[in-house]
Amino acid sequence: MRHFKTMLYPYLVWIGVMIVVPMLMIVMYAITQKGNDVTTFRFTLDNFAYFFSDAIFLDVLKRSLWIAILTTIVCILLGYPTAYFIANAHPNWHMRMVLLVTIPTWINMLVRTYAWMGILQDDGIINSFLGLLGLEPIKMLHTSFAVVLGMVYNFLPFMILQIHTSLTKMDKSLLEAANDLGADRLQRFLRVTLPLSMPGVISGITLVFLPAVSSFFIPKLLGGGQFVLIGNVIESQFLTSGNWNFGSAISMIMAVIIMISMYITKKVDRNVDERGV
Amino acid sequence: MKKFFALMLGAALVFGGCSSSSGSAEGGSEAESKYSSDTLKLYNWGEYMGENLISDFEDQFGVKVIVEYFDSNEMMYTKLQAGDAYDVLVPSDYMIERLMAEDMLMELDHSKIPNLSNLAENLTNLDYDPGNVYSVPYFWGSVGIVYNKNNVPLELLEEQGWNILKNTDYKGDVYIYDSERDSFMMAFKALGYSMNTEDEAEIEAAYQWLQELNDTMEPAYVTDEVIDNMMSGTKSLAVVYSGDAAVILDENPDMGFFMPLEGTNLWSDAMVIPANAENPELAHEFINYVLTYDASYGNSEYVGYASSNQEVLEAMTEEGGYYAENEAYLPRDGYEKDEIFKDNEVLKQKLAELWIKVKAAQ
Repeated sequence: MRHFKTMLYPYLVWIGVMIVVPMLMIVMYAITQKGNDVTTFRFTLDNFAYFFSDAIFLDVLKRSLWIAILTTIVCILLGYPTAYFIANAHPNWHMRMVLLVTIPTWINMLVRTYAWMGILQDDGIINSFLGLLGLEPIKMLHTSFAVVLGMVYNFLPFMILQIHTSLTKMDKSLLEAANDLGADRLQRFLRVTLPLSMPGVISGITLVFLPAVSSFFIPKLLGGGQFVLIGNVIESQFLTSGNWNFGSAISMIMAVIIMISMYITKKVDRNVDERGV
Repeated sequence: MKKFFALMLGAALVFGGCSSSSGSAEGGSEAESKYSSDTLKLYNWGEYMGENLISDFEDQFGVKVIVEYFDSNEMMYTKLQAGDAYDVLVPSDYMIERLMAEDMLMELDHSKIPNLSNLAENLTNLDYDPGNVYSVPYFWGSVGIVYNKNNVPLELLEEQGWNILKNTDYKGDVYIYDSERDSFMMAFKALGYSMNTEDEAEIEAAYQWLQELNDTMEPAYVTDEVIDNMMSGTKSLAVVYSGDAAVILDENPDMGFFMPLEGTNLWSDAMVIPANAENPELAHEFINYVLTYDASYGNSEYVGYASSNQEVLEAMTEEGGYYAENEAYLPRDGYEKDEIFKDNEVLKQKLAELWIKVKAAQ
């Protein structure tokens, strides 16, 4: 086994250069004042204080978390039945349906989001169609509906695939046993299938919630300039305000929030495991 | 089936490879002996150049042009600071001022740009770079209001100026340009201040003006989408750059362009060569080429901004000219309340901070 260890070194170097060093730089920027040169650092916690002292930033944070949670819930509600259906489909159809779920992810996310702009805008495909039917156009682009729709659309495959994997791995003989012991369909689902598929749901939540909470181009394109989420505030600190220190501080705050939410999901996961087995 | 695809892919790779290698080999040797390499790296705004300019330049000089696009001066500056090397940039006035102050630009060799004599007179002595030592104007323009003539009477615009954007009769019917520079400009002008003010109380007042607009008008903050949307007449009022407005008016005869009497921002974008350019020889050649009548004409006709070439400007606006009837094409000149943006890093950052707060409040 030992000689395999040397094969890890390229990866360790990669982690060091591409992940650890940039993270340290973010921390460095976050806890120093603007205008440092190489030799002098002036340490400060003002960047963090500024964030928490302003109600507007806290509102943006709340809004980002809310949108991400909503996206995750919708993804579960849509993703679970889909995954269940695929997992129980006839083997001939199985792989084709998985393929149908994955195909959209072959196309760049940004391109697909731009396509939604064309579909949703005031004189877009949907509203032109409504116009043909003689109906009033509905304002869809630049609303929170459009943002959540865009996020669900982009992140749903992650949820479906995770749940699908855990459902197909499930030992079907457990269902037969439950049947023999007199459980009806609903009981079999609630007490056997659902608990055993929870690990898939949990990792699906992680894969949807994390990108949703920090996404900045989906709110920018589908929500318009007035739809500001925390990712947009970070982007503006780097690209327009040029305040890298404050931008880094917000990034660090986000990192902490994400770590806490991962810890919570892990914990829920473990409780479920104990109950399920 | 699989084999068929693999074959097609292979064929595509082979042929694609061939054509590109023969393409660069062709004029390459000749161009390379004249310039340090046969590649020019251009960093420009999106949708800011005539359709054929690049391909014509490539054909004529046997070179290859790599174009990258930015959507704000700040984004360009950030990339430049990160060490990316370009041969020609097209930043705006205040950004050129900053780049000059930070020694990030190369002095131009006027002997290599004989077409400098084609420049419009009012552009040869701009405040930020008198005598065009570092920069050659590309386009110039202003910021104004595009309005639907059927819904908004001109008298009302004349009476209310920028404040019409806070007129609740047009609630939900307004596009605001999503940039701190232009938004604060209109707030400062609406309140009768200079747009280069550093006065805390005036900045606070402008911030409140924008907050009120945000709270009462349900505005949509947009950038380039405003062009398509106003062409199809989605909303009645929009804050638009003059050149974009010229294109909108060209497409939709219901639209008019108005420059508020309280004053506006007069700006210019110019071509510069960064100090770390890898191919300054070819960069001079390119700048010279853009100044020719044909290139400038194609540029201005396609993009809609006022040309920096005197003859093109005359041809466009004289009777029968392409933009003769278009009130947005030629910016008003010499109006005392119009101002040019001065580079002020501290002020700009402050406005950027406030602008994200205006947008984030809901």
